Amino acid sequence: MNATLNKRTAQVGEEIRLNIRVTGQSSNLQAPRLPALDGFDTYYTGRASHITFINGVSSSNVEFSYTLIPQKPGKFTLPPVEVQAGQQVFKTEESTIEITGGQGQTAGSATPSPVRQMPQVPQPSAQQPIPQEPAAVVSPQGDDNIFVRPWVDRTSVYQNEQILLTYSLYTRYDTRYEGFEKEPETSGFWIEEFPMERDIERETVRVNGKRYVKADVKKLALFPTAPGNYTIQPGSLKVSIREEAQGSSAFDEFFSDSFFTGGAFFARRQNRLLNPSPIQLVVKPFPVQGKPESFQGAVGSFRISANLDKATVKQSEPVTLKVVIEGEGNIETINRPKVPALTGFKTYDADTNSQLFKTGNVIGGQKSFEIVFIPKEEGDAFIPPLEFSYFDPKKEKYETLRTPNFPIKVEHSDQAFQMPEELTGKALFQKQVKLETKDIRYIQERFPETPVLAGLFGRLGQWVNLLLLGVLALLWLKDRRERLFSKDEALRRRKLARFVASTNLKNLKRLAHSQKPEDTGVFFDELEKAMTHYIADKWNLSAHGVTRQDLEATLAEHFGTEDAHLKDVLGLYGLCDESRFGKGAIPQASKKMGIKIFQDTVNRIERMRR
Amino acid sequence: MKTRVFLGALITLLGVSQFHAFAAQKGGTVFEEANTSYRTGNYEKAAGLYERLTHEGAPVAAVYYDLGNAYVRLGKLSQAILNYEKALLIDPRNADIRYNLNYARGLIEYRVEDSRNWYLKATAAVLRFWTRQEIHLLTQVLVFIFLLGGILRLLSGRDPFWTAWRKCMFALVLIAFLVEFGKHVQDNLFTDAIVMQKECEARYGPSEHDQVAFRMGEGIKVFVVDRREDWSRVVLTNGESGWVKNEDIAEVKL
Repeated sequence: MNATLNKRTAQVGEEIRLNIRVTGQSSNLQAPRLPALDGFDTYYTGRASHITFINGVSSSNVEFSYTLIPQKPGKFTLPPVEVQAGQQVFKTEESTIEITGGQGQTAGSATPSPVRQMPQVPQPSAQQPIPQEPAAVVSPQGDDNIFVRPWVDRTSVYQNEQILLTYSLYTRYDTRYEGFEKEPETSGFWIEEFPMERDIERETVRVNGKRYVKADVKKLALFPTAPGNYTIQPGSLKVSIREEAQGSSAFDEFFSDSFFTGGAFFARRQNRLLNPSPIQLVVKPFPVQGKPESFQGAVGSFRISANLDKATVKQSEPVTLKVVIEGEGNIETINRPKVPALTGFKTYDADTNSQLFKTGNVIGGQKSFEIVFIPKEEGDAFIPPLEFSYFDPKKEKYETLRTPNFPIKVEHSDQAFQMPEELTGKALFQKQVKLETKDIRYIQERFPETPVLAGLFGRLGQWVNLLLLGVLALLWLKDRRERLFSKDEALRRRKLARFVASTNLKNLKRLAHSQKPEDTGVFFDELEKAMTHYIADKWNLSAHGVTRQDLEATLAEHFGTEDAHLKDVLGLYGLCDESRFGKGAIPQASKKMGIKIFQDTVNRIERMRR
Repeated sequence: MKTRVFLGALITLLGVSQFHAFAAQKGGTVFEEANTSYRTGNYEKAAGLYERLTHEGAPVAAVYYDLGNAYVRLGKLSQAILNYEKALLIDPRNADIRYNLNYARGLIEYRVEDSRNWYLKATAAVLRFWTRQEIHLLTQVLVFIFLLGGILRLLSGRDPFWTAWRKCMFALVLIAFLVEFGKHVQDNLFTDAIVMQKECEARYGPSEHDQVAFRMGEGIKVFVVDRREDWSRVVLTNGESGWVKNEDIAEVKL
């Protein structure tokens, strides 16, 4: 089901039409009650049913119409409307409406037109909103000043024959018809509602010696779908009347515009529910005698016409026969005339169209069927006449109509049969694949050979990624250090001094182990260089231009002039000089001592700097 | 040195696959027997054999699925639903498992409305679309790409490190971790469980003295959010929660 609004934006006082369409098999539905809508006056304005037949499958839809009259500007949400169908409750979707302020109009100044008014009866209160909608009250029994009389044009009909159900309202009050509170129960009938004119025709009649205003407020065409005895529950109507009862003598005042009753200021209205009594109907089955083979339930009076779109075709080319049935009766429920089994053709249903006309009190219209024939063999052939029978209830007999015989010439073609392009993809021609029963699907019989590797690779990847993370971190640190060093040369020397010293130390140890006398000189030379280099790096002195005095001063500054270690260092420098200039005999132990002094210096300075 | 590492890895991999092949072969014969029993309508025996297979070797979705089918045939719907759920843990995108699970759910007596927010439903559905291992692998692959790209960039010495591409990659990695965390929460903090008893009472507290909050029937799916010695606190998709006896439910865990 769905709900549609004819507009999404409106002005205050402007009518909005709400249609709730229920599609499905059941047409016997109660009119859904609209939820309370703040800021709107709502009116139920009737229902309409449609039945469509496609290939003999019926689908019906019922449309309920409401009129909403916004009372104030703003943005509103129309809450879901519930419809009860059998055990199930369906809901429409929410929709939003935007109301803008009317041009100088006050709320409700527009006459709510869906409320069909009795013409000529003064309606002062219609000019202003009803201040407080009084709860609908059941009309007190015995009030014969207002009543509804539903009547049918005949009480005994044939199946599928039209019955006209009319609701006549008799009143002696100033009355406004507000629609149906409860829809008539019409299960077993196909219903078409006649649209009522805005101004309902009204006449004055005399019943039991009293004068009434009589108006036909609703007209329905009913088509019984099966024989039997029926009781139609006519539902209940809602009317609002002017409160004060009027005596019979007051009838003339009914039309007058008296000061008290006519003044909008004093007008008070009362809602009444009118519950007419049920209607009995007898639906007769079709007479068995003379029932033709081709009879499929059409009742009324019909004409048939047909045409073929071409007289000469090639093999495997489609030719379309269009059959039109028109007339008065249950036009919507007419089935396609049966096509006899044809050996030389493939046949397909193409299209079904129906149009309804409601003229006077009779439902009529036309329904057209398109049938596609595809010749299989070449030569002369003909499309045989199609038979259509209907039952004429007036003459009480069956009538049979035939389409003409269409000869066609089929020319040879080498093309193999193919579903014609215009037919492919049309759901009508292809059978629907449908699930017929429900069960579980079958077991899996193959044991998976390969183990699930996702877990294995996931865990492997985890370790690889940890490794990569480490590498990345190291690279990043290195990158950062290099950036710092490139900006600050002194920092670079200071930071790398220890690394350079330890590399030199390794080299020195190797030299110290050597027993060759010429290596002793090299050793002390290297030792001196390493020491000088280290100290110069640490305090950013020029590595090549630094003098012995500079070194002494720097070390004295940091160690203190009387420091024992300073003396060792100076002693070491002396030893180095000695090895360079003196004649050789420096004991092996001095080398070890030299290395130790160098190591101690590095360690001490590293500690100091921290 | 390199060759030795490579060979070692190869042998390990081969060993693993050999082990799996062996397990599969051994499982295969029992599996065949179970299938034959199922085919011939001996569902009781088939269920027993499938049940045995679930305790041996690595979990296989087909075994749980077939076991579920056997239980459907035997009319043990809660068992069937439990095993379908387990099968979905291993093979979450298998349409047959989902179909049969829905079929079995349609047969049980109770129904629970799903009144969770749309985003909760969407998150749960997305997380259920992959297994934990798959999500983990995906995360690791993304992390691998990110790390490798970073290393190459640093080695090449080009600037800058945080290009738009790398930022996107990093965001992806973060999202992947988030998803993995979500999966972890789904698996461990809201463990799925199936009601196994025909009638199960959920109480307001973890004891017989507490009032009954609501009743459930077999096959209903609940989420375990808290545990005591004999009782578990469960939450339903309609938002109700209560304490049930541990013996009344079975957790969907492999």
